[in-house]
Amino acid sequence: MNQNDEPIITIRGLEKSFGTKEVLKGINLDVEKGQIIGYIGPNGAGKSTTVKIMLGLINEYVGEIKIFGEDISSGNVEYKKKIGYVPEVAEIYDSLTGREYLTFIGELYGLDYDVADEKAKKLMELFNLEKVYDSRISSYSKGMRQKVVIISSLLNNPDILFLDEPLSGMDANSVMVFKEVLAELASQGKTIFYSSHIMEVVEKISNRIILINDGKIVADGSFDKLKEKSMEGSLEEIFNNLTGFKEHREIAEEIVSIVQGV
Amino acid sequence: MKDFKILKFMDKFQGLFKSFGIDYNTMRKILQMKLTLDGRKVPTVMNNNNSSKKNKKEGNSFIKSLAFYILLGLVLVPFVISNQNYLFQMSFLFGILMFMMMTVLISDFSSVLLDLRDKDIILSKPVDGKTLSAAKTVHIMIYMFFITFSFTGPSLIVSLFRNGFLFFIIFLLSIVLMDLLIVALTALLYLLILKFFDGEKLKDIINYVQIALSITLSVGYQLIGRLFDFSDIMNIGFVPKWWQYLLPSMWFGGIFDLLFNKNYDFHIILFSTLALVVPILAIAIYVKLTPTFEDNLQKLNNSSGVVKAKNKGFNYYLSQLACRTREEKTFFRFATNMMKKERDFKLKVYPSLGLSLVFPFIFLLSDFKNEGWEYIANSKLYLNIYFIAFMIPNVLMMIGYSSKYKGAWIYKMLPFKDTSAIFKGTIKAFIINLFIPMYIFESIVSMIIFKGRIGLDLIVIFMSIIFFTAICFMMLDKTLPFSEPFGVNNEGGKFSIIPMFLILIALVGIHYIATKFNYGKYIYLFILAIVNLFIWKKAFNVKIEGNHNPQ
Repeated sequence: MNQNDEPIITIRGLEKSFGTKEVLKGINLDVEKGQIIGYIGPNGAGKSTTVKIMLGLINEYVGEIKIFGEDISSGNVEYKKKIGYVPEVAEIYDSLTGREYLTFIGELYGLDYDVADEKAKKLMELFNLEKVYDSRISSYSKGMRQKVVIISSLLNNPDILFLDEPLSGMDANSVMVFKEVLAELASQGKTIFYSSHIMEVVEKISNRIILINDGKIVADGSFDKLKEKSMEGSLEEIFNNLTGFKEHREIAEEIVSIVQGV
Repeated sequence: MKDFKILKFMDKFQGLFKSFGIDYNTMRKILQMKLTLDGRKVPTVMNNNNSSKKNKKEGNSFIKSLAFYILLGLVLVPFVISNQNYLFQMSFLFGILMFMMMTVLISDFSSVLLDLRDKDIILSKPVDGKTLSAAKTVHIMIYMFFITFSFTGPSLIVSLFRNGFLFFIIFLLSIVLMDLLIVALTALLYLLILKFFDGEKLKDIINYVQIALSITLSVGYQLIGRLFDFSDIMNIGFVPKWWQYLLPSMWFGGIFDLLFNKNYDFHIILFSTLALVVPILAIAIYVKLTPTFEDNLQKLNNSSGVVKAKNKGFNYYLSQLACRTREEKTFFRFATNMMKKERDFKLKVYPSLGLSLVFPFIFLLSDFKNEGWEYIANSKLYLNIYFIAFMIPNVLMMIGYSSKYKGAWIYKMLPFKDTSAIFKGTIKAFIINLFIPMYIFESIVSMIIFKGRIGLDLIVIFMSIIFFTAICFMMLDKTLPFSEPFGVNNEGGKFSIIPMFLILIALVGIHYIATKFNYGKYIYLFILAIVNLFIWKKAFNVKIEGNHNPQ
C-alpha cells in the first residue's frame, strides 16, 4: 500500500466564517501517519472549528479537506469509522450507565454489542473505573467522566484521534498513563491531533507543533525547530512571542493591585 | 437498555425508512437510547445505587400524564355525538386538538428538536445527519402519537359506536395527518427563527411562545365556556370565506363533510384536498431542509449578538428605594435578575401571572352578559380584584426553585447568618417587579369599568394583598431562593395552598363589611397599615437550619 507515504489528512485553503466573522482564513496542512500534532493557539483562534469541520460537524466551508485520501464533503460518513474524538466540552448522556453509554457509542461505530462491551469493560478496569461501570454517569466526578469520554473515543481502534483538552480533570496518575498510551499509539502508526492550552504537555508529547492565530497558521514544525527560529526557551514563550503578547507582567501587577483595592 | 415494544412495532415499517436512505439499525439504536434516557428523566439527582427500585418507576410519570389527557379528551366527545353538522363540529374538534398538540410540542419537545448534544456525540461517529434527524423526528412522533391518541381516545371510541367504522378510520387517519403537519410546521418555524436570530434570541422566543400559549390555553379555557353557547355553533350554515382557508382545522372538518354529508361543494372539496396534501408537503419540505436545520442548530451555541454595556441601571435605584440593609438590597437585585432572566422560572411563573391578571375580569363576564355594564359599575363586584392574589402562593413557592439550583452553594459562602435579609429582599423584588406592574394595570382597567369611584378600595386591596403575601410566606415551607430543582416536591405544596385561599376570602369579607360603615374603609386601611408594619418586621425572621444540600 502506498498510502503509507501519502498524507493521511490534507487541508487546502480552508476558510470559514460565521456571519460576518471570519474564523479561518486559509489553512493549509498535510499530516502524515504516526504524527502527534500539538495544535495550539489563543482562545477563539479557530482550533475547535478546524477540528469540527474535519469531523463534519460544521458544513459549508471554503476549501478542500481530504481524510484517508477522500474528500469529506462528499457526504459519505464512512471515514468517521476510523476516527476518535474527544471534544473540549464533552457532552455526554449522563443518565445512562457507563456500560450503556459505551456500548451505545461502540455500536454507532459499527461494533457488535459484545465486542464493545468487552472492550469498554477492560478499558474501564485499566482506568480504575470497574466499580462504576454499571452506575449512572451523572454520579461520576469530572475526571471519571473525562475518562469515559476518552474510552469512548478509543473503542473503534481509530487511525486518527482528535483530542481537545483531553486531560482536564484527570488525576496525575491517569495523566501519566494516558500520555504513555498516546506515545504508544503513535508508534503503532496512529495519528493524533492534540489541542490544549497547557503548553508543558504539548511541548513534551508532540513531535510537530502547529500554532494557529487569528485563523491562520503562524508556526509549523518540531519543538526544536520552533525554538531555533524564535530564540525562546519554552513553548509557552514561543506562544507568547508569536501571538504578540508581551504585557503579561504589567497585567498581572495591575490585577494584584486591584485585588488589594488600591 | 431494554428493548421497547414501540421499537419492535416500528421494525415492521423499516422498509419505509430504508427507502428514504435512512440507516434503520442506527436510528433504532439512537431511539432506544433516547427512550431509555426519557424513562430516567424524572428522578435525577442523587443516588443510583438502588437501581432496581428505580427501574420500576421508569416511565410511570408519562403514563400518568396520559391518563390526564384521556380525562381532558372527554371535552371532545360532544363534538362527535351532536347532530350532523360535520364541517363545524369536526373543525372545532380539530381546532382544539391542534392547539393542544402545538402547546404540548412546543413546551415539552422543543428541547428534543433543539438538542445539541446529539450533534457532537453522534455525528462525530459514522452516522449521517439524515439518520439522526429521522431519529429525532420519530422520537417526538412516538410521544405525540401517545398523547394525541389518549386525548382523542374517548371521542374515537364514541365515534366508532355512534358514527360507524368508516368514520372512525377517517378520524384516525386525519389525526395522523394532523400530527405530521404540526411536527413539520413547528420544526419549520424553528428553522425560520434560527435563520434570522442567534441562539439566545431563539431560546427567548421559544420561551415567550410557550408562555403565550399556556396563557391562551388557560384563559381560553375559562372564556370559551362563558362566552359561547355551543348549540348555536352546531347550527351555523356554511358560508365560504377566504380566511377559512388559513385554518387547518377547517380543512379537516371539510373531509368529514365531504365523505359523510356527501357535500360536493367546491370549497369543501378544496378543503379536503388541502387536509391531505399540506401535511405531506410539509413533511417533505421538512425532510428536505433538515440538513440546513442541523447546521443552523449550531447557532444555538454562539450568541454573536453584541450586548450593550450597562451601568447600574434601574434595578439598582429600585433596590435603594425598597430596602434598608445592604444584604437586603443585594438579594433584591439578585432576585430581580433571576426572575427576569431565568427562562424556566418565567415558564413556570409567568403563565400564572397572566391568568391571575385576567381572572378578576373573567368573573365579571357573566354578570356583564346578564346585567349589563351599568349594574356592574355600581356594584361591589370590584372585590373581584382580590383574585389577582391567587397567584401569590404559587409564585412564592416557585421562588425556591431554579433549573440551575446547584448555584445555591453560594449561600453557604455567605459571611452573614441573617437569612431574613435574603427572603425579604427576594419577596420585595417579586412585589415590586412582578406584582406592582400587574396591579397598576389592573387598577387602571378597573377604574374605567367602575367609573373611577374605587380609588380608596384599590388602596385597601393593595394593602390587604401585601399583608396576604407576608402571611403566605409564613405558612409555606421555606427554602432559600432558587436553591432547589424544579419538579421534585412541587406537587405536595399544592394542598397547602387551600388554607391560604380561605384567608384571602376572609380578607374579601372584611373589606366587604368595611364598606357597610361610614369611614369603615378608612379605619380598615389604618388597621391594615399597622398590621403590615408589624408583620413585615416579624414574618421573615426565620432560621433555616441545614439548608438543602445540592449534592
